[in-house]
Amino acid sequence: MKSIWNGTLSFGLVSIPIKMYSASEGRTLDLDMLDKHDHARIRYKRVNENTGEEVAYKDIVKGYKKDDAYVILEKEDFENANIKKSKTIDIEEFVEETEVADMLFKNPYYLEPQKEGGKAYNLLRDALKKTGKLGVATFVMRQKENLSLVGVYKNVIVLHVIRFAEEIRDTKEIKIPTSKTSKKEIAMAESLIENYTEKFNFEKYKDVYNEQLLKTIESKSSGKKIKVEKMKSEPTAAKDLMAKLKASLEQRKKMAS
Amino acid sequence: MDDVNLNITNPDKLYWPESGYTKYDMLDYYIKMSDIILPYLLDRPESLHRHPNGINGQSFYQKDHEHLPNWIETHAIHSKSSKKEINYLLCQKEATLLYLNNLGCIELHPWHSTIFHLDNPDYAIIDLDPSDNNTFEQVIETALAVKEVLQQAGIDGYCKTSGASGMHIYLPMGGKYTYEEARDFTKLLCYYTQEKLPKLTTMERMLKKRGPKIYLDYLQNRKGQTIVAPYSLRPQLNATVSMPLHWSEVKSGLKITDYTIETVPNIMAKRKDLFKGVLGQSIDMGKAIEQLNNL
Repeated sequence: MKSIWNGTLSFGLVSIPIKMYSASEGRTLDLDMLDKHDHARIRYKRVNENTGEEVAYKDIVKGYKKDDAYVILEKEDFENANIKKSKTIDIEEFVEETEVADMLFKNPYYLEPQKEGGKAYNLLRDALKKTGKLGVATFVMRQKENLSLVGVYKNVIVLHVIRFAEEIRDTKEIKIPTSKTSKKEIAMAESLIENYTEKFNFEKYKDVYNEQLLKTIESKSSGKKIKVEKMKSEPTAAKDLMAKLKASLEQRKKMAS
Repeated sequence: MDDVNLNITNPDKLYWPESGYTKYDMLDYYIKMSDIILPYLLDRPESLHRHPNGINGQSFYQKDHEHLPNWIETHAIHSKSSKKEINYLLCQKEATLLYLNNLGCIELHPWHSTIFHLDNPDYAIIDLDPSDNNTFEQVIETALAVKEVLQQAGIDGYCKTSGASGMHIYLPMGGKYTYEEARDFTKLLCYYTQEKLPKLTTMERMLKKRGPKIYLDYLQNRKGQTIVAPYSLRPQLNATVSMPLHWSEVKSGLKITDYTIETVPNIMAKRKDLFKGVLGQSIDMGKAIEQLNNL
């Protein structure tokens, strides 16, 4: 298994270096697209919309459309958007497991009652609320069977698509060292967690990264910090083009003769 | 006309309100000019840019046609992007030209290639596209630099005003080369031009990065791309025309507004079409590259 991210998990004064692995895998059958004539694999090419020519991966940049032009973002811009956060997983608080259980899952969807469903909808919602239980349901959406949990958020019934068990990878590949923790250490950690425990209020968490990135875009487009483009020197580019054209013309001559 | 009856609607509509020209004035211009313009439209798929309410009204583009009078010729071309056949209109005669005008086509946008060889353009174009901060004098300077490069390459180019703010330089290709070759060759000439005027010109596609420079646009040389035809009127303030010029006329003092709906028919009554050489002949690309290589 390949790790997808390296960094630090930290809370309080403790920081734990970790590797991150995907816990799930796709459920769709792995089918390849083929040309029906000779069963050759179909490949995607990244092409320039204007010239139709293929663009090398190294020549691809990411841009944000602002007004009528693009602000180009470099790798550093993404990293600078939040250097600390891009290397650490910050635990900012601890909350009761039950407070967030129904927000934990993959994709939440709000359910709205249609005409005449109102009464039953409210009944189910109130019952779920009162019992504190979640409904387990399966349904098909986008040609895919989905497993889901039905719960309540504020006043609305929410459906959370969750993973099937077969999508969850085994944990045995994750290497955990065997070391004993003493009672004293546990007690210390517990009190630390206790100190950081708050009532969960997820409104206070904002997407700082995107905010930072937008600021970078703003300053770039207003010309405050214009990056000098390293261009291929023209003589070389002209010679390359000449060679390409010559080859093309020669090819044509060969085909004609 | 051409044995068909054409209904002209709203001839009195003001198409250029600031200068007072009406739709009738536009039709009158194209009637006078049709013999000269039609060779540049003949057998070429036409993209329509319609201004049904004049130059200040909403305009829109149209390529596909469903309900045309039966005397108008069309040519179906498969479009990869929209995955269907597009029924392009062919402007084969004066009546069709006026039919287009009546739809609000102030300007005419033919393909660079004809239906006989859609993948091989008859000409390549260098589009000199100034920023808002450039003067037309600087465009002239750039055009003359291109002219020098053409001389070094030993080929003839033909220039016209765009009728808006820039100039177009046409290189005859005679359908001998592909669009890609035409585009690469044009790009090569642009490199040489840019080397001559590094401070004034740019080949940067990104608008924001161009700065106050004249854009040497070689990317117009694509199948399906169109540029305004020679002698076409423009939806611009003074009813200007995209006017073919002799190179000797491209000099300091030349103004876009010298050539308008009023002046061009009078000028053309006295002189021959300077753009004739664009069609029918071809440069020798291999030789031109050789010559540039030996500089």
